[in-house]
Amino acid sequence: MSYIDGISMKESKSLDLYDIQGNVCKGYGRYGFPKARYCFLSFQHTHSAREFLALLIEKITTAETWPVSESSDHHRIKPNSTLNLGFTYSGLKKLGLPERSLKGFPVDFTMGMKARSEILGDTGISAPEHWDDIWQQDNVHAWVAINARDQDAIEFEFNALGDLVTQHPDGVRIMSGIKGPNNTILPYQDASAVFENGLPTAKEHFGFTDGIGNPYFEGCGNSMSRLPGRGKLMRDGSWQPLATGEFVLGHVDEAQEYPPAPEPKLLSRNGTYMVYRKLHENVDTFNGYIDNLAKDFDGSRDLLMAKMSGRWPDNGAPLTLAATDEEKETLDAKMASIELRVSEGDKSALIERKELRRQWVDFTFNDDKSGSRCPVGAHIRRTNTRGSLETEHKAFHRPGALVDRRRLMRRGLPYGGIDEAKSDSAEQGIIFMSIGASIERQFEFVQQQWVNYSNDFKLGNDKDPLIGSHDGKLTDKHIIQGCPIKGAKPPFFCTQMPRFVETRGGDYFFIPSISALRMIAEGLIDPS
Amino acid sequence: MSNIAGKAYAMNVITPIPWWKAIWQHAAFKFVVRFPSNLKGLINLSLIHYARWTIIGRNSFPHLAPSQPKEDLHYSYMMFESNFNGSWDQYIDSFSFAIPEGLDLFWRFNIGYPKSIPLHGFYNYIRFNQIETDHFYNAYPCASSNDVKSATHLYDNLKDFTETSLELSDEDFEQAYNALLLDNQQYLGCMEAGPSLSLKEY
Repeated sequence: MSYIDGISMKESKSLDLYDIQGNVCKGYGRYGFPKARYCFLSFQHTHSAREFLALLIEKITTAETWPVSESSDHHRIKPNSTLNLGFTYSGLKKLGLPERSLKGFPVDFTMGMKARSEILGDTGISAPEHWDDIWQQDNVHAWVAINARDQDAIEFEFNALGDLVTQHPDGVRIMSGIKGPNNTILPYQDASAVFENGLPTAKEHFGFTDGIGNPYFEGCGNSMSRLPGRGKLMRDGSWQPLATGEFVLGHVDEAQEYPPAPEPKLLSRNGTYMVYRKLHENVDTFNGYIDNLAKDFDGSRDLLMAKMSGRWPDNGAPLTLAATDEEKETLDAKMASIELRVSEGDKSALIERKELRRQWVDFTFNDDKSGSRCPVGAHIRRTNTRGSLETEHKAFHRPGALVDRRRLMRRGLPYGGIDEAKSDSAEQGIIFMSIGASIERQFEFVQQQWVNYSNDFKLGNDKDPLIGSHDGKLTDKHIIQGCPIKGAKPPFFCTQMPRFVETRGGDYFFIPSISALRMIAEGLIDPS
Repeated sequence: MSNIAGKAYAMNVITPIPWWKAIWQHAAFKFVVRFPSNLKGLINLSLIHYARWTIIGRNSFPHLAPSQPKEDLHYSYMMFESNFNGSWDQYIDSFSFAIPEGLDLFWRFNIGYPKSIPLHGFYNYIRFNQIETDHFYNAYPCASSNDVKSATHLYDNLKDFTETSLELSDEDFEQAYNALLLDNQQYLGCMEAGPSLSLKEY
């Protein structure tokens, strides 16, 4: 039994959560950690770097379950901050992994993100030569993430990390070269939830509510109440947890096999891969484009934004639930009335609220094949197709057969927007992080085939309206489909879309298990 | 030599099959042709232009001249040909994810066939038996088969529209034009060069 979200539950599969790093199973933001700092290390001498690592391991946060309630008896086990660690391929080399183990890593990881820019659409202004200085070097060896409840805790932990680094001058250094606010160059990347009225929100800087539909996998330690809409869609409309091996190495995946992984097994088991990307948001360009287009659009500005993302910006409600301004008003009124009853202590309203909120995640596009509610090319319909690629009933093994092995476990936070006013040239955006057992099959496929291309949606070369690598050409467009009944409104075209989001850096990281970290630190990795 | 031309990939796979099991395989093909609902999944995979399975009997290989040495083949062979859009991995993955039972039906009697799940056994089987393409010509390198289908629909509908809309008043034209857009909204994706499929740079 485990205790999560105050709910006790029996899990069908138990993982060794004390061996898996915490960021694999937890989105820390949801657990009351709205602040983060990411820094990058460069290793020098192997021996000294390993000594440093041996000490750092003690600080690493595992995936052990926490009760969310502050008043719980378990409160003492929930820390004030978390720390997690990953290595690039060159970092693992520098730590002295045997050649045979190194050769077992997949090509995507060994090449790193910069070398895969063509696949990812990191071209033009997003090309690696425009990234932050830190990525112009080839000696980023490790990623360290600190998540915390407040900025003081971040500073405290970062200073502690700095002390540890100082004790190993021959082994490791914290790299500078990250562009910060007001033209500063910093040795870290700060990130933070966007705050409104002093409270953290799930918003990003364009104003969308983000991070709603993360996948649910077997043994992840989350409450089963989070499964609907997040697992794999079954033929009867129910949801089952995705196989553990989709997200954690050393466990069986959806193809009923162990994901390819380096030897020895102890090196890879309970580890995984993570994509780190600094995605700059051109807020002026975005707001200007939306303002201009909204003049011609038959509907509110919010509806136009929703037709690009698939969710309403203010509260993240999917268009499947409310696809017009009128439907949204009705939904908002319903929610407000439920909230009022909840505040008056009506217990049945709690259940109603839960049921309504469930529909934020638990939906398909089955009744919207034409895209007249949620456009076929909208951001959420591209990046999580649910069952929509099965265009004929029972054509596939499972309705979501083409998406179940393409899911991304996102672990990002917005950055910037605090120390300087938001503009195109100011530093603000999203630190996008995605966890999965195969970077190529999951992240790279989604980025190449679904974000920057549309053959699977029968929309030619159209791209994701929000994060696609557009260049303002006439053909850089997004179609907002009309309802296919006679006399209905025609489709609306968003054309000449500029690049709203630019890549400013990043790499691929291996997130080892605690056991593997210990073995690496002690130089005990032996694949023979 | 490349299996890739523009947005398309050409795949040829030849696998041995015991001659007497080839008869069962023939029966399986006949069953599928008789009940085409079994092909629904294959057709639903819109990245595929076509897929064809052919059984070549062990005595059916061409013998072009008396000077050609006679071959004594132990097996019949099944030839699989397909053109599709996307990379090798994307194609095999989609096949295996979406229609694993269908693949097993088509290959089950072939020597060494491991079943389509787990995936890597199937990967290895196809790679081992794949015949690389010496020459592959693509008349429309920027077009996927979905692009071609959309373009032909749009062309026909636009042609009809131009013929019927000449005499319309401005108001009626606007209405007819909007109806044309609505009827063709699924055919309006733009067409450019496809995403990088080749791994030769990597």
